[in-house]
Formats: sequence, structure tokens, C-alpha cells
Amino acid sequence: MTLIPPNISRRSTSSLPRFIIFWRQVVSTPNGAIGASIVLVLIGSALFAGVLSPYSPIKMGVGPRFLQPGAGFPLGTDEFGRDMLTRIIYGSRLTMTVGAIAVGISLTIGTIIGLIAAYLRGWTETILMRSVDILFSFTETLIALACVAVLGPSLNNAMIAVGIAGIPYYARTCYSAALVERSKPYFEATVSAGASHVRLIFLHLLPNVLPTLIVVATLGVSSAILAAAGLSFLGLGAQPPQPEWGAMLAGARDYINRAPWLMIIPGLSIAITVLGFNLLGDAIRSALNPREHVR
Amino acid sequence: MWFFLGKRLAMGFLTIFVTTIAVTLLIHVVPGDPVQIMYAQSQGTTPEQIEQIRHTLGLDQPIYIQYFDFIGRLAQGDLGYTIRGQQPVLDVILQRLPNTLMLAVAAMFIAVAIGLPIGFFAAYQQGTTIDTSLMVAAIAGVSVPHFWLGLMLMFFFSVELGWLPVTGNGPLNLILPAFTLGLSNAAIVARMTRSSMIDVMQQDFVRTAEAKGLPKGLVLRRHVLRVGLVPVVTMMGLQFAFMMGGAIVVENIFAWNGVGRMAVDAIFQRDYPIIQGFILTFATVVVVVSILLDTVYAMIDPRIRRS
Repeated sequence: MTLIPPNISRRSTSSLPRFIIFWRQVVSTPNGAIGASIVLVLIGSALFAGVLSPYSPIKMGVGPRFLQPGAGFPLGTDEFGRDMLTRIIYGSRLTMTVGAIAVGISLTIGTIIGLIAAYLRGWTETILMRSVDILFSFTETLIALACVAVLGPSLNNAMIAVGIAGIPYYARTCYSAALVERSKPYFEATVSAGASHVRLIFLHLLPNVLPTLIVVATLGVSSAILAAAGLSFLGLGAQPPQPEWGAMLAGARDYINRAPWLMIIPGLSIAITVLGFNLLGDAIRSALNPREHVR
Repeated sequence: MWFFLGKRLAMGFLTIFVTTIAVTLLIHVVPGDPVQIMYAQSQGTTPEQIEQIRHTLGLDQPIYIQYFDFIGRLAQGDLGYTIRGQQPVLDVILQRLPNTLMLAVAAMFIAVAIGLPIGFFAAYQQGTTIDTSLMVAAIAGVSVPHFWLGLMLMFFFSVELGWLPVTGNGPLNLILPAFTLGLSNAAIVARMTRSSMIDVMQQDFVRTAEAKGLPKGLVLRRHVLRVGLVPVVTMMGLQFAFMMGGAIVVENIFAWNGVGRMAVDAIFQRDYPIIQGFILTFATVVVVVSILLDTVYAMIDPRIRRS
């Protein structure tokens, strides 16, 4: 599987870098355009939280308590008179960090396991992939919960827990993609040309399983964000006064009658973020598999 | 078929075996002294008492002895005693497990009852605006966190409309948690059903059925649905595991007295015997259900039955 579908590389725009051509194809679909916009806005707000937000996310009493959304405080204020807009913006920073680090952990370890199992075969393959199967049947939630039980509740530990919980999924995906690659003629040719193990794994297998991994990782960001927000919601992740969306939702439970916006806004933020990554992942997948368009 | 089931059974035993090892090791990978952490919240524990507790829990023994002790007690249905209240862990779990299973099964029923017809209909309308909007709705449905959906349902139906009780453990209390868990998974079931049905619709035997002049409805019911349902049933095992995982969060929203809520409380209280028992129970339930579903799968799919 190449990164660029053949019908695209034949276009006259081939002087542009392949990545840009591919990106254009992704955002040309409605799903891709909406998903990419959401993700870009989130990255922007995460990077420039300090510039964008008018107040401090944890300073209390910047406004009256329980102020409804309106002029001055576009998203209202919470039970301590903190500005909700500021907290949501800073929350995007935490959410994006959680997504990046958790997926980073699962992707790195999962890819290494998958590549080694598919490359070495034999006993190593059996042991690695059986272990992955066992972990997989535990489900992500249970693994994450067990990790938090051991490490103790905090946002950092929640990130690690969600990262570890995701490993089996990435290992399986990478393993099956790598198995397909190693059965292709080019791989056999490289082996008979006498390439070293390192060269075979990192210069031949890895680049060719990368497109599959990109799709899985983009979709994986959304489930990592959901899982970490769930832990924070239970009080097992981010702790107050951290402006984490899941933790904010948990705090809003007590004011469900008095200030419903405290509950609606963080939940909507999580949903939109997750939707953005899901749409983007779907669009990247269709762009990589031109056959899907034919259907 | 027997080979297939035998393999699944062996894998199930292996999974539970690994779980018992993981659960024994769990307490040892906790940073710091687990006994001190566990009893940190109770005042005035002397060093002698700490040593006494360590001895009672067997933590002063070599780790393999601890493991064999654990297995030996497990074989007698003894999972140890809770740190708070000194109740048998097995009783605490068995008292709550039916509630969690009830929630998971009700949610599964809702997910299938809503997701299956939608997925089937979308496949039937494949390529039309109806299909596209249904699938966009499904992606949106997958993106909504179930803990938020739960709060919103509680807000509308219990607080605003006052139709349903907010928390508790009666039959009426099951409605909101089950819908919370079921609706999120209905979207997944719908997407799976649609892609499976579309795969089948493109196969030769469907074209044959259409070519010999069978009405479209009959082709769908008799040929497409039967074959297309097989992968959907296969996915149910994984779905059930998701439900059990999701139940942990949903039980906490609605104060539903199940094992998930018990586990989260135990994590806060550092009650490791309960956490160990919970992990073991959860893994066992998931393994047993997936083996049962695979048996059903082997029975309905002749390709496996005859192999």
C-alpha cells in the first residue's frame, strides 16, 4: 500500500510534495473538511490558550458565580465564579496533550510488538500475539482501571493508563499489516539481496505499514480522549481545579438544576473533539483506499 | 467445530490463568508499601499491627507461595476479605454482579434493537441521502461520551420532566442507565450491520437470487440478512465486553449498585482485595460470555460447524 493512490499521483500537480497532494484529497470530502477544521481549531486553541483566553483558568471570582452565558462571559461562569470560556480553552490543551501522549505510548509500543512478531515469526510471534490476544479480551476499560488502581488517580497516570490499555489494538493492527507486507515480492527480493534485520524492519516494513497506522492512530486519538475523560469524570484522572473537561462535567453534576450550562458545555466540547478526530480518521481511510469510493 | 470450540476454551482458560497471575502481582507493583497505603486512612495503626496485617495478607511470604496460596483459596471460593468492614470479597461481588449483568444485558438488547434495523435500512438505501445522514448520525453517536449522555438523559427525564427517578435500584431505575449504555453502542451496531450487509449484497448468490426474479424484500430477508448477520453476531462478544466496561462509568452516574461502582469506590479507598476480586470477576465474565457467543456463532455458521 502506497501513501498516494495511483489516480492522484498521475495528476499534473505531481510537482507538489506528496503529503500536500494527499492532504488536499482528504479535505476535499465534507467529512475530511469538517474533521480537519475541528482538529486544527483545537490545536490552535491548545497552543495559544494563554493568548486566546481572557482570564486565568483556575482564578476564582473573576465574575459572579453561576452567571448564565452572555455578554462578558460568553460561556458563563461556574460555582467559583471562574470563566467557563477560559476553562474550556485551557481544557483543550489538556485534552490534546492526553490524546497525543496516550496514543504516542500505545502506537510506539504496539508498533514495536507488531513488527517484531510479524518479522521474527516462530515462538516469538506466538508468545507476543497470544499475550496481545489475552490483553485484548480484558478490554481497554479494565486495563486502564487496573493501571490507575496501581498508580493512583492523577491526570498523568490516566494518560499512561489509557496509553497502556491501547497497546493490544495497535499491536494487532500493525501485526496484520506487516504480515501482508512481508509476503510481497519486494520484501523477498530485499531479503535475498542480503539486507540486515534493522534495514528490513525499519526501512521496508515500517514505512509500508505506516499508512494503516496513521488511520488507526487518528481514530485512536478519539477513543483515548474519551477514555481519559471518562477516568477524569470518575475522579480517577485530572483533579480539581485542573480545567479538564471530564473533571468539569463531574463537578457540574451537583448543579444540574441551577446551572445546566456547566454540564452541557464541557460535554459538548468532548463530543465535538471526538467527532473531529473520527471524521478526519474516516476521511484519511477513504483517501488511502480509493476502492471505497467506487462502492 | 469441536476443534474451533476447543481452541476457544483453551484460550479462555489461558486468559483466566494469566489474570490470576496479574492479580497477584498487582499489589506488588503499587509504588510504596501497599499495607501502609491501604491503612493510611485508618488512624492509629501501630507498626506491630502493620506487621500483623502483612502476615494475615501473606505479603511476608515469597511471591510464588503467595500465588499458590491465592490459587488454593480461590479453588475454595475464597477471595479474601475487604479492608473496610472485613466482609468476604466474594459475597460483596456476588451481591452486586447480577445488577451489572442486568444492566449490560438490557443495554445490549437496546443497542441491537435500535442499531440492527438502522444498519439494515441504511444498507438497503445504500448511497442515498438517507444512508449518508444515518451514517453521519452514527459517527456523531459514537462521538458522544456516554457519561455525558447519561447526565443529559438524567437532566431531561428526571430533573426537567420528572418522569423517572434520579438514582436507586428499582426496575424503573434501570431504564436510564440501560439507554445510556445502549444508545452509544447502537451506533456501533448500526455501522457494523451496514458494512456487513453491503458486503453480502455484492456477492454472486445475491445477484443470482435477484436474476431469477425474486422480489427484493425476499432476497434481503432470506439471503442477505441470514448471511450478513453472522459477522454481527461474532462482534457481539466484543460488544458485551464494551458494555461491561461502559457499565463501570454508567453505574457511577446513576448510583446503580453494581460491581463497577464498587470497583471505583475500592480504588479510592485503596481496598486492594476488592480490586483484585473485581478484575478476576470481570475477566471471567467476559471470557465465559465470549465463549458462549462463539458457540452460538459456530452453530449458526455451517462453514465452522462442518470444519
